[in-house]
Amino acid sequence: MQLLDKVRKTEFLGREFLLWLWFKSETGEGIFDLGDKGKAELWLDGKITLQSENERGVETITCTGEALNMKEARFALAGEKEIRQATVKLAIGDNQWSFVLDSTWMNFRSFKTPRVINDGKEDPDGLFYEKAFLIEEAISAMDRIYASFIGDRLSPEWLTETRSAIARWIRQGATGGVTQPLSAEREMD
Amino acid sequence: MGLIHGSASFTRYMTEGTLPQHFMEVLSESIARYAFRELDEKSIDERSAGWVNIMDMFDNRFAGIEFLKEPYVAMSLRIDERKIPPTALKQYCREAEDRIKEEEHLEFLPKSRRADIKEAVRLRLLKRAIPVARVYDMIWNTVTGLVVFGCTSARICDEFMVRFLQTFNLQLQAICPFTLGELFLLKEGASLNLLDGLGPTRFLEGQ
Repeated sequence: MQLLDKVRKTEFLGREFLLWLWFKSETGEGIFDLGDKGKAELWLDGKITLQSENERGVETITCTGEALNMKEARFALAGEKEIRQATVKLAIGDNQWSFVLDSTWMNFRSFKTPRVINDGKEDPDGLFYEKAFLIEEAISAMDRIYASFIGDRLSPEWLTETRSAIARWIRQGATGGVTQPLSAEREMD
Repeated sequence: MGLIHGSASFTRYMTEGTLPQHFMEVLSESIARYAFRELDEKSIDERSAGWVNIMDMFDNRFAGIEFLKEPYVAMSLRIDERKIPPTALKQYCREAEDRIKEEEHLEFLPKSRRADIKEAVRLRLLKRAIPVARVYDMIWNTVTGLVVFGCTSARICDEFMVRFLQTFNLQLQAICPFTLGELFLLKEGASLNLLDGLGPTRFLEGQ
């Protein structure tokens, strides 16, 4: 299969990944183990774009806001819209990154690293290495988190547990319900 | 777009295969061959593209080995383009056509004649147009194979992939959710066919 065919056939993976990230971050599971790199916390904050395709054509909605629940966007999920891109905040230790993640190519847009110490005037190479390190650290963290999504997605539990938990969370969003931490939900089950 | 200064948008790639033999020895020469060349003021070339120093877009000489910041190779792809504003082209064409009609006592100009006039006007204006320069940073980790390119436009990314192949004789594989998944499965020693069998999840009933 050619790469473009693969991209088209598996576009849903990127959309499901963004949904999974949002679900995890809102149900108290937005902390990911990065092995020897420690832990990363991740949440969606800012702009989110959702889209659906039906007989009426393509419908896109963009929600901007800092409210954790982003009600309108949650409502759109219940209306069969899927996430095309979302603003993601990533924190590792004291460092925080911000970027828009795109579901089709997993491109990073408006990527902002933590503030760098070196201003580059006296030591341009120092600035380069600091920036390169911060870019690679964020990419590596996102790749590990994506790997953990793929692990989850390929496991039998995806269909027996995760799918229904995400569906419940989507429905809660549509009715304006309060999101329960996943741990509490499991206890209720 | 600046990976080093300010915020950036970028696309990721992985190099395919291993580094060619004597890679480091011929690196300077390969880069110099595809370095950026200024558009000649007298020429009618509309476009020029090539590598420049990532820390200084006006440096295309690479007098030292500024591109090598081990383990990285870092440069910017600079693209200069001369463009004529469409309204200016339209205005100058109309003036030229009116002048010819008056001189030759013609009421109408045939389509082919108007096309010739348009091309002549375009070439004349092109010499007066100041090129617009854009730079897109590239950071390549030669140990891991990860290439970060500071652009998300498909057209520019395609041009970058070609330029990378010409310069380094290495193909780039674009990263997407599928290829990332494959990399994970390879690492785990699992079958790549697992991804081929996947379909979209229906989260809500009746979907």
